[in-house]
Amino acid sequence: MKKKLTLYMLVASIGATGLISSCTDLDEEVYSEVLASSFHPTEKDIPAIVAPVYASFRGLMMGWQGYFDLQEESADAIITPARPNGWYDGGTYLRMHEHRWDPLQWQPENTWQSAYRSITTANRVISQIEDGDIAIENGKESLMAELKAARAFAYYLLLDNHGNVPIVTDYRDASLPKQSTRQEVYDFVIKELTDALPLLSDDPSSTYGQLNKWGVKALLAKIYLNAEVYTGTPQWEKCIQECNDIISSGKYVLDPNYSDVFTWTNQNSKEIIFAVPYDEIYGPQNQVHMKTLDPLSRFVYAMQAGPWGGNCAVPQFIDTYDEEDGRLGDTWIMGPQKSATTGEVVIDYQKDVPSMAGTESNDGYRIGKYAIKMGATGGLDNDYPMFRYADVLMMKAESLLRTGRAAEAAELVSQVRERAFRATNPDKAVVTGDELMQGSTYEYGYQEEDGSITDKQGGADIKYGRFLDELGWEFAAEAHRRQDLIRFGVFSTKAWFNHRPSDPTKTLFPIPEGEISKNPNLTQNPGY
Amino acid sequence: MKWKLVKQIFAMSSYVLLYNVVPCIWSGTALANSGGSRFVAVADVQVSGVVTSSEDGNPLPGVTVLVKGSTTATATDAEGRYEISVPESATLVFSYIGFTPQEVPLNGRTQLDIKLLPDQKQLQEIVVIGYGTQKKGDVTSSVASVKRDEFTKGAVRDAAQLIQGKVAGLRVTTPSGDPTANTQINLRGITSINGSSDPLVLIDGIPGSLNTVAPEDIESMDVLKDGSAAAIYGTRATGGVILITTRKNRGERSSIEYNTYVNVQTIARRPELLTGDDYRRLIQEEGIDYTDYGGNTDWLDEIMQTPVSQNHNLTFFGGNANTNLTASLNYRKWEGILLRSGQERFTGRVDLNHSMFDDKLRANIQIINRITSAKQGGADGYAYRQAIIRNPTDYVRNEEGGWQQRDGYFYENPVSRIYEANSENVVREMRMSGSLDYTLIKDLDLKLLVSHNEYSSLSGYATTFNHTDTWLNNRNSNASRGTSANRQNLLELTGNYSKSIGRNRFTILGGYSWQDEISEGFSSSNWNFPTDAYGWNNLGAGQALQAGQADMDSYKEKWQLAGVFGRLTYSWDDKYLFMASLRREGSSKFGVNSQWGNFPAVSAGWRISKEPFLQNVSAITDLKLRAGYGVTGTIASNPYQSQISYNFTRGNGAYIGGQWVPGFVPARNFNPDLRWEKKEEYNAGLDFAFLNNRISGSVDVYRRHVNDLLYNFEVPTPPYLIGSMLINAGTLQNEGLEVLVNFVPVQNTDFTWNSNVTYSTNRNKLVSLSNDQFEATNDFFTSGYTGEPIQDYTHRVEVGEPIGNFYVWKTVGVDENGGWLIESKDGEVIPINDAKQEDRQYYGNGIPKHIVGWNNSFTIKSFDLAVNMRGAFGYEILNFQRMFYENPKNPAYNMLKTAYDPVYGQRLNSDLVYVSEYIEKGDYWKIDNVTLGYTLPSDLLSFVKNARIYVSGLNLVTITGYKGIDPEGVNYTGFNPGNDERDKYPTTRTFTAGLSVRF
Repeated sequence: MKKKLTLYMLVASIGATGLISSCTDLDEEVYSEVLASSFHPTEKDIPAIVAPVYASFRGLMMGWQGYFDLQEESADAIITPARPNGWYDGGTYLRMHEHRWDPLQWQPENTWQSAYRSITTANRVISQIEDGDIAIENGKESLMAELKAARAFAYYLLLDNHGNVPIVTDYRDASLPKQSTRQEVYDFVIKELTDALPLLSDDPSSTYGQLNKWGVKALLAKIYLNAEVYTGTPQWEKCIQECNDIISSGKYVLDPNYSDVFTWTNQNSKEIIFAVPYDEIYGPQNQVHMKTLDPLSRFVYAMQAGPWGGNCAVPQFIDTYDEEDGRLGDTWIMGPQKSATTGEVVIDYQKDVPSMAGTESNDGYRIGKYAIKMGATGGLDNDYPMFRYADVLMMKAESLLRTGRAAEAAELVSQVRERAFRATNPDKAVVTGDELMQGSTYEYGYQEEDGSITDKQGGADIKYGRFLDELGWEFAAEAHRRQDLIRFGVFSTKAWFNHRPSDPTKTLFPIPEGEISKNPNLTQNPGY
Repeated sequence: MKWKLVKQIFAMSSYVLLYNVVPCIWSGTALANSGGSRFVAVADVQVSGVVTSSEDGNPLPGVTVLVKGSTTATATDAEGRYEISVPESATLVFSYIGFTPQEVPLNGRTQLDIKLLPDQKQLQEIVVIGYGTQKKGDVTSSVASVKRDEFTKGAVRDAAQLIQGKVAGLRVTTPSGDPTANTQINLRGITSINGSSDPLVLIDGIPGSLNTVAPEDIESMDVLKDGSAAAIYGTRATGGVILITTRKNRGERSSIEYNTYVNVQTIARRPELLTGDDYRRLIQEEGIDYTDYGGNTDWLDEIMQTPVSQNHNLTFFGGNANTNLTASLNYRKWEGILLRSGQERFTGRVDLNHSMFDDKLRANIQIINRITSAKQGGADGYAYRQAIIRNPTDYVRNEEGGWQQRDGYFYENPVSRIYEANSENVVREMRMSGSLDYTLIKDLDLKLLVSHNEYSSLSGYATTFNHTDTWLNNRNSNASRGTSANRQNLLELTGNYSKSIGRNRFTILGGYSWQDEISEGFSSSNWNFPTDAYGWNNLGAGQALQAGQADMDSYKEKWQLAGVFGRLTYSWDDKYLFMASLRREGSSKFGVNSQWGNFPAVSAGWRISKEPFLQNVSAITDLKLRAGYGVTGTIASNPYQSQISYNFTRGNGAYIGGQWVPGFVPARNFNPDLRWEKKEEYNAGLDFAFLNNRISGSVDVYRRHVNDLLYNFEVPTPPYLIGSMLINAGTLQNEGLEVLVNFVPVQNTDFTWNSNVTYSTNRNKLVSLSNDQFEATNDFFTSGYTGEPIQDYTHRVEVGEPIGNFYVWKTVGVDENGGWLIESKDGEVIPINDAKQEDRQYYGNGIPKHIVGWNNSFTIKSFDLAVNMRGAFGYEILNFQRMFYENPKNPAYNMLKTAYDPVYGQRLNSDLVYVSEYIEKGDYWKIDNVTLGYTLPSDLLSFVKNARIYVSGLNLVTITGYKGIDPEGVNYTGFNPGNDERDKYPTTRTFTAGLSVRF
């Protein structure tokens, strides 16, 4: 009997063991991820492989505390004051306004992280193509050129904001990167872009949202325009040359209406040269309306989201506008706002803002440049125009102005102003070279709670100040202002709203504290 | 020795013989009488009666009834009845295995019913350890054992609450009053950053959770505290192991038990908010910019209810010595203190035992089925916040009878949220297990255990057209549905050999274990429905999914775990004890090169009380010194962490070539070298019992190092894509002391008082946070988050510092404008607007240094009283309630009455900010559970064996200086312990009345 029993046990054990296929098989079965070892990309996968290089620009540009905030809130046109519903947020917006950010400030770090995410992704894809992991028959060179151009664009953001950053080009090298000087970064970016140019597509229609030949030329023009800031050596002629190439190509024109450039169908714009495309469904990170609109404005646009009600225009900046300039109304949401369904006034936006510390929910004009369509969701459909034709004209105009050709510059500026005054007073569109040589009409100084200005500085002393004003009106709320203020020597020298003159070192943001502590090769920028 | 054995065998055979002849006695063949004729019995009397167990009132068959000083004896029959003819002056001795023998002089009686007390000491002796049991005296590691009769009485949330405050070093708290929430449990501090610090819970050897079985169904809970005890469970055991043993039928118990209770709850402590009248007074007297809508609404009252909960438990024991069963059915319906919240639960369990071939083969089948379902409204922490901040002069409904909504940032009518949202979450768990235990040869047992568990959840959520989501986001009915399913297999083969040779006693255990689990899930949401009548039951009718706005998601993953293990115990003369074990375990969650790890343990004990020099000291009942060392591990929480894999995601997609395409991105920074976290632990302890067990207990000291911590290490970007990467880096240290003292101050027939005190202290430190791959890195990381509008982190974890440190600007005053003054890093007083990050400093710690429990139980005749008290000392709590609501700055939201009180002599005029002012001492002492029971006289109803009624109060009194709701209702695990969050489900006080009956 015992034998029989032992047999039973044995059979039972074997049976049970058989329930589980193998007793020590610890290989992972992967279901919801794509294993590198079993994925062999073909050409149809290339768009998906390239996409992440561009994807991080989307969250960066118009996303939460992104590049837009970095360029605008440190400058003289847009602020995020504390509101009855909050927006003190540990003083982060106040620090942006007062130029008191430190190496822990998130907005500059956000730009760093996003730029390097694009760079690292580009490096990875480049090395995978080089190593043959991604096999491409046709168009390999133009794809490589585009990846390098996109990478150079990301480096341009770092060049402009952080200056002295590490240049990393090899994905296979995981060693701690060395820091480069701003000059080295400048040289690297110029060389990469110049090398890429001849290999890039020159067809705007098939490359929207990607870097084509003209996007790269506009980028080069932008870098040359700011070359003096970056390297100490101006490059006005080179800037003019790149602009001329774009103008003479005939590929781009000014859109008939200023507002066409920014609307939710602006992918059809003939003016935009390089855009960061957004989409309600596929790329919903354009939150500019969410941050600026008061929650009540949702009724005005029958929105499918409740906006947060934060940033607004600096009253002193609004005061610089000509009342007949159509761009004032095309850029800012002002006055009473009516419900789309009942027609009742739900909120009345006032120009005045008492201070960074205390405001009412309707204080300050709101950003309306990126037209909000009825039924908008939390992410706008409007694409962000990184470079547009008017920008090319103005870059050329500035270079001409700064090299003694004010009259030629004035012609270009008048060309850009034309549509702004077409409906109101076309004569006002025309400016002269002499006017462009004048100072700024911005009443720089500290704004008290009652709206009066103390410690008045004005803008008359700003060289080509009038041209700076022109840039302000044309490019307000396009994340240009910080760079322009730096180029015109205003950024750290003037007071506006609750901001007082800061220090020249603030023209560069700090290297993020986190990155310095992770990489001992990095040295902090001066002044931090 | 040989003689002894013979005697034993003889004794046993005679017992068996006696048992077999019992029926003869009853049939009237006077075996005893015929024997009795040998005695000169002058005046014999016939005595009869019934012997029952005092524990459950069951009749005890086979009890030996002996006439003291003679060999005259009989035994009880199957109904526990006996009859014996004895001299008039005789004293009867009743004895039965597992029960305390009882001597009763006849004193002229002829009817003698006896209740035998179970021998607690004998039962207490057995301790469940990994893959077996051990006599308490033989245990050489730190193991705590709590038996059924010591459990917390009354309405308990789950198994953990049964032993709350009864195991030194095991902290159990209830951080939320949500009826669907679990208790929070932690043993010996934080042991992992990425993985879980939760203990491994085994129900009869099979992995489960603390609410797998109903608390009523549990016989004992054993906690393997130190590394030497837990190492046999290898990689799952770093947080300790809790072994739950369910109730089993022992022998031929046949009874039905019914337990029930009903309870009501009240909020533990209500925050005192400004009322509508306060608003009007402040508007009038001080011109504060409040809006007066004319009403006087107590919003907390509006969202709360008086919850009435009930619990019913039916347990059935039956069978015979060869085949028996335990079956139970538990139904629990708990309501929550917030409106429309609650949970319903059914748990059924059947446990079948069968033995064959002279008890050589023992088989067990157990099936546990559990269904919980929570049909609730929109009551959550956010609704609670809205009730606090809502204007008290406002109305719940407008004149038209609709919800009164107002504009405002994160400002919604809380009552409308509760009534206009519906949710349902159903969890079904089916656990099937079987085991065969076979005695192959003498002393050698082989055991096969297999189990299969299925766990699935199905949830739905939908808002109506009247929900604020419609008003705020223009989403017309927002509905979602989600489901998940887990399947887990377990197979364990063990062999156990035990042998005594002379004074040497040893056991050898060997085994193999396999576990695998597949988890998968699916979820989808949709909104913009033509009607809100569908709820979540017709998702396709909405428009958002079709428009690409709503989400759909699915996943599947799998992991496997294999192990072989062995253990040797050896003792010499019950005096010198030794144990060694080794588990070799492999997990699929790690890279191919690091899949397998070894987890050894050794421990030794010395029973000093057995030494000759102590043997004659009668005061010392038992004294044992023990020490152990053991290694356990922690697995990464998620599988695939070492895989080189990619994903197509929409978020990383872009507009390429004229269309939107998804992005192809690496799933993570690749690290194929991932390996185990390893905890090494030293433990030394002393077990003692004095004065015949009137005083007993244990003391343990331990130090544990967790090496190769799995940590989302900050890596530089560039060259890495993502700023963090899961790698093995760093060391965490915990050390502590635990004391348990049981004492019996009074022990009389009519009055006994049992008492026990537990004390534990733990000190932890992050020893290092580095890795050979990345030398330069932050030696700290931040943790905790305040939420909007403060948007700040709360804690910093730094190398060389304990976990749980608040890192904050230290307030030292308030200036004349009502702005905070803080202490700068140079020790100067500066306005908060000038404060920099580097001015922050450590201020308090959220983990209690001292935890004390004191449990008392009294028996006074038929009354029993239990008083459990508990306290934690030496720690701080960040009071979010004050941080957000004790500030008069924003009149758009309601606030605490104390908001206008001067702080440092000034009324505050500052934005909400995280400063040290809101970090308070958390010390508390709770009279947690008081239960008064009364056992009804046994002769009240003939068919009832035992009946007890009781009333109980839970979380009764809290003595504390802390100003928040409940100093214990705070999360203390993870890296932001002590954050008493703003959005919470308030904890409650519970009053229970219950009844238990045995038939």
